[in-house]
Amino acid sequence: MPLSLSDPTWYPIASSEDLPFRHVYHGQLLGRELAVWRADDGNVNAWENRCLHRGVRLSIGINEGQELKCQYHGWRYANRSAGCTYIPAHPADAPARRIENRKYPVREAFGLIWSAANDDQPFAPFPGAEDHDWFALRPVPVNATPEDVLAGLSRLAPDDQPVEFIPGRAVTLGSAHFFVQPVDAARSVIRGILPEKPADEIATLRYYNEQLTKLRDSLERAAAKKPAPEPLQPVFEKVSVELSTMPDIAVPRGNTFPVVVKRKWQSADGVIGFELADRDGKHLPTFQPGAHIDVHLPNGLVRQYSLTNGPGDLMSYTIGVKAESASKGGSKVLVETVREGDVLAISEPRNNFPLRRDATRTVLIAAGIGITPLLSMARFLDKSSLNYELHYFARASETMAFSSELDVLHGRADRHIGLTREAIKAKVAEVLGQYQFANHVYICGPGAMLEMVQETATALGWPDEAVHFEYFQNDKTIDASSAFDVELARSAMTLHVPAGRTILETMREAGLTVPSSCEQGACGTCLTGVIEGEVDHQDVYLNKTEKASNTCMMTCVSRAKSGRLVLDI
Amino acid sequence: MIITLYDFELSGNCYKLRLLMNILNVPYAIHPVDFFPGREHKADWFLRLNPFGQLPVLKDDDLVLSDSGAILVYLAKKFDTSGQWFPDDPAVTAEILRWHAVADDITATSSAARLALGYSYPFDIEKSQMGAHRIFRILDEHLWFGEKSGRDWLCAPAHPTTADIACFPYVMLSEEGGIGRQDYPALRRWTDRVRRVPGFTVMSGIFPAGPAKS
Repeated sequence: MPLSLSDPTWYPIASSEDLPFRHVYHGQLLGRELAVWRADDGNVNAWENRCLHRGVRLSIGINEGQELKCQYHGWRYANRSAGCTYIPAHPADAPARRIENRKYPVREAFGLIWSAANDDQPFAPFPGAEDHDWFALRPVPVNATPEDVLAGLSRLAPDDQPVEFIPGRAVTLGSAHFFVQPVDAARSVIRGILPEKPADEIATLRYYNEQLTKLRDSLERAAAKKPAPEPLQPVFEKVSVELSTMPDIAVPRGNTFPVVVKRKWQSADGVIGFELADRDGKHLPTFQPGAHIDVHLPNGLVRQYSLTNGPGDLMSYTIGVKAESASKGGSKVLVETVREGDVLAISEPRNNFPLRRDATRTVLIAAGIGITPLLSMARFLDKSSLNYELHYFARASETMAFSSELDVLHGRADRHIGLTREAIKAKVAEVLGQYQFANHVYICGPGAMLEMVQETATALGWPDEAVHFEYFQNDKTIDASSAFDVELARSAMTLHVPAGRTILETMREAGLTVPSSCEQGACGTCLTGVIEGEVDHQDVYLNKTEKASNTCMMTCVSRAKSGRLVLDI
Repeated sequence: MIITLYDFELSGNCYKLRLLMNILNVPYAIHPVDFFPGREHKADWFLRLNPFGQLPVLKDDDLVLSDSGAILVYLAKKFDTSGQWFPDDPAVTAEILRWHAVADDITATSSAARLALGYSYPFDIEKSQMGAHRIFRILDEHLWFGEKSGRDWLCAPAHPTTADIACFPYVMLSEEGGIGRQDYPALRRWTDRVRRVPGFTVMSGIFPAGPAKS
């Protein structure tokens, strides 16, 4: 049976013990090299052995516990999804597009790690597999064709004992099972397992190792006399241009997908935790620290919630919801009517609040429910042993959410409870200190807190680019007094926007379907390209530079300074 | 008293001494020798230091030493207060010297293949590569059974010795000689452990390992 690149059979590619803590194993199956690594949560990843960036082997990368870091330019990929979470050359940007490494199916069972070239066959244990607690022998690589190795193994059987071939290039000799891993056309690994741990482990391991080594030597002598078959030629897909370039601004995607509420609990006084998971138990899409999701609520509203999860933690998303939020009844619906087992539609994670991982010092300042994105950031920094300090301000200790999650962090996490406005300001000034090179501060909390920290930081010499924040609501008073025309270039229509109406409302009244979410200029969903005209920006989503460029706007609150705007819609 | 290392930056044998001196926190000065392409190790002034014309050479006051394995032992006996790197135990000493000899065999094969491929030395590439694979197979087996019996290092059970330092560089640099280590998982795990020794330092082509802690 010649080897085929598309052979869907599951083969063992490693022993379980080949994947110790924080190691990256170098494997190969059917000509394709694999980087195989176990994350700290026990999950085993089998990825194509090359970084999407420059093709360097990921098997020489660093297993950071929940992320794999490429040794060359430090790109990091998440456990389970293999999605890129950080590009050091672009420290201030979230790698927003779907930069995701090629994954292969993987299972850990019977003392071995199993993989297949594709997903065409479900994993099926060999006959009798489930009845034993298997014990792995030392694997023996052989430079010979898998076919010759299998034939050689079958010749090991004593004359009075029948050889039984089992599916997937394997034989049983007595109670021992031997699998032949087809590494490449002329390379194999013999992987043996015994149904139970032998009485004298070392002696048994030595015995089989000697037998298999002798077999290897004779197989290799025979192979040297024959012409070696050509190695398999796997085709490696090229990285698309879209994936290999950096996005300028994160353009929101409109897609949603269903998740089930796995757990709902009281995280603190006035804060409800929701754990959201895939309905079929698969992992959720990649996210970066600081990311949020849109949650589509039963009453039709859409609200944004930051993810609190740590690196590579993709089996569920955990969000925190403030119970008495006054924001148009959004959170109220979640808290009061959504129960465990309910299905919600959410967006893929978006990140308007990316975390740099090249700071010499990172200060995280959270107030109230603002702890949620900063908890995620702290967990990422913690796992990479980067220097950070988290300051969590709250009115009372009972209102501090995710307390047990904060307790297990190794870094500094200070709680500041019940301080007056002046005392908070003094404490913030104290923890910030005079600005020093490569220091960064991240703030999340109520608008007044954000402004206070920004002012304090500025007074202490912190430049704008070192002060990071994310608004979930726009506290500015919107001036809707202007009236103007909008020309919709792609829709070929011109509409008049009167005073008191938004561009978004006017477009909807004209029958256009336009995505939006917060409708107060904070979330970025209605971001629209501007072709002509001068924009009157009133949002808090775009930064100063983006606003000055006059090439994009938020149609939910921003208006025109000129009499006419031409929009790319 | 100041130690001077006659050093070529890309030499694995010189790196062995930089590595152990870094681990033992021994200050030293470097005297660069243009091994390639200048062949300065065959210059008259260098041959006066080491008539064998080989790097590295180490000068400690008036004492001039050559041979990386011998110098490793000198540094361990003189500066290692823990007594771990070259223990007095007769059996362990014998084992260490045995693996120092293996280290020289690795140099003769893996390093030769690297010099042939990267530095145009007229060595038999295929023969050097096959020789390295033969040694790596035995090393992998030795380390695999070591792990099974609680020995993480080449010799002594609980800690690395100069044998680990001596064997390490040209194992790590083998890919530059076209010698893959995919078939040697236990050998690869051992290189992780060496790279996690406190005081470990890198050279071109040898990357650090991440910390093995959560």
